[in-house]
Amino acid sequence: MNFAIETVNLNVYYGQNHVIKGVDLKIPNRGVFALMGPSGCGKSTMLRTFNRLIELNEGARVDGEVRLFGENIYSGDVDPIEVRKRVGMVFQYPNPFPHLTIYDNVAIGLKLNGLVKSKEELDERVEWALKKAALWDEVKDRLNDYPGNLSGGQRQRLVIARALAMKPEVLLMDEPTANIDPVGTAKIEELLLELKEDYTIVLVTHSPAQAARVADHVAFLYLGELIEVGPARKVFENPEHELTEKYVTGALG
Amino acid sequence: MLTSNRKTKEKVFFIGIGALTILIFIPLFHIIATVLIKGFPVIAERGTKFLTGTLSEGGIGPAIAGTFILTFLSALLGLPVAFLVGVYAYEYPKSTLGQWTKTLLQIMIEFPTILVGVFVMQVVAVPMGTYSALAGALALAIILTPYVAVYTHEALREIPSTYREAGFSLGLTRAKVVFRILAPMAKRGILTGILIGMAKVAGETAPLLFTAGGLYESYPSSVTKPVGAVPLLIYQLVQSPNPVDHATAWGASLVLLAIFLGIFIPIRLSLKEVRL
Ligand SMILES: Nc1ncnc2c1ncn2[C@@H]1O[C@H](COP(=O)(O)OP(=O)(O)O)[C@@H](O)[C@H]1O
Ligand SMILES: [Mg+2]
Repeated sequence: MNFAIETVNLNVYYGQNHVIKGVDLKIPNRGVFALMGPSGCGKSTMLRTFNRLIELNEGARVDGEVRLFGENIYSGDVDPIEVRKRVGMVFQYPNPFPHLTIYDNVAIGLKLNGLVKSKEELDERVEWALKKAALWDEVKDRLNDYPGNLSGGQRQRLVIARALAMKPEVLLMDEPTANIDPVGTAKIEELLLELKEDYTIVLVTHSPAQAARVADHVAFLYLGELIEVGPARKVFENPEHELTEKYVTGALG
Repeated sequence: MLTSNRKTKEKVFFIGIGALTILIFIPLFHIIATVLIKGFPVIAERGTKFLTGTLSEGGIGPAIAGTFILTFLSALLGLPVAFLVGVYAYEYPKSTLGQWTKTLLQIMIEFPTILVGVFVMQVVAVPMGTYSALAGALALAIILTPYVAVYTHEALREIPSTYREAGFSLGLTRAKVVFRILAPMAKRGILTGILIGMAKVAGETAPLLFTAGGLYESYPSSVTKPVGAVPLLIYQLVQSPNPVDHATAWGASLVLLAIFLGIFIPIRLSLKEVRL
């Protein structure tokens, strides 16, 4: 029960294509858990089973269990909407809503879900989330501007604020720095180190270097199979599996 | 030598295509020019009375009022349905009905509008025993609906799926994602469809022939009574042997052109899309 997320014999299929193959994974509460592996190995797919976002894809079929703090989110009586309120998500391409102001981008989840009672509470929560996402100082004078003028890194932090505003228990991040310049990437990695004190962060990355910089635990996924999992130090310095060693030294690409 | 030959060919080709392109737009400019040249003196001579007076006073006021009433009423009847149909086609593209919806909307856009008029006459005008604004507006609404639905559908489809995912990832219901996030995001495209549809129906004649009836000697007073429209009036005046009626028709044509451009130009100006 002290795991934030636990998968039991998790399988995902796109039609006939078996892309996640019987994965058993335990993600501890708090800290950064990096899910790494080469492009196409199934990282995004697996991440999307953790908040049932995979269901938006009608061709996808999930088999097995994903337990969120012990509770199987795939059991029949669980509403995916409720799961998603507890598990926030940040995407590979920074995607703040372009037609909403910076303020409204952060506020929208709270507003539409009716999670705040007053304008004051909303203001407070928006400020809190933007501060948590280390963006407040950069945008506090232009909350009513549109996100179009923000840099890629700022947009991604705005999306992080949008997710944090919902006060999720787990934060899923799908290669959040893949489309961000090096300076923006450094800021986001710094932010992850702060956020991991309060949240469980599942970070998908195709970069072992990034996993080494920010993760406490890592899992290595290859062709849909879980090859190795453990404390970051252990996996990087003393991998058990030859494939893992090849991957972390860059020999796999 | 060879290259210069190729270049010459290219040039000839380019000029040929350019000339053809200009050629097909000649009728458009000819129409606009003729309408201006023949219509403007009529309006200038009769003054504001042309825009407000009844037909026997030398004006087309009731027809203008009728066109605005018909266009507005058809939008009122058609827009909500059209919007929902567009959303349905977007949300359920794989369902049987969803697939049929797309095909049927395309057919509706191309459908002979006079048949719409005949249909509405059968189901509304005949039972009511009279032509009416309501019947005319219903016929126009049927013509407006596919435009708005198709534009709504297209505008939603153009939104990258990552925004849809973002909406769902916030724990929103499908209805909230579609109506509170995606539809507002697509509002320019949807608005374009609405304006194009309205510009189209404001100029329609055929669907009004057997539905609206016509009313040119007094202003419309009720939606259940006959009403006039500028294009319908033009159609009737042109058939008259009287040159005064022809003059009125030219003036009315200019008014119709102004109404059309008044709806259409803002569309062109606002076409700049939301930055994604
Ligand atoms: N929507 C989809 N439909 C069908 N196959 C998909 C879809 N998304 C991903 N796949 C396939 O599933 C596999 C894993 O993809 P993905 O989870 O995106 O990998 P990663 O995020 O590690 O790059 C790939 O082989 C990919 O081609
Ligand atoms: Mg991916």
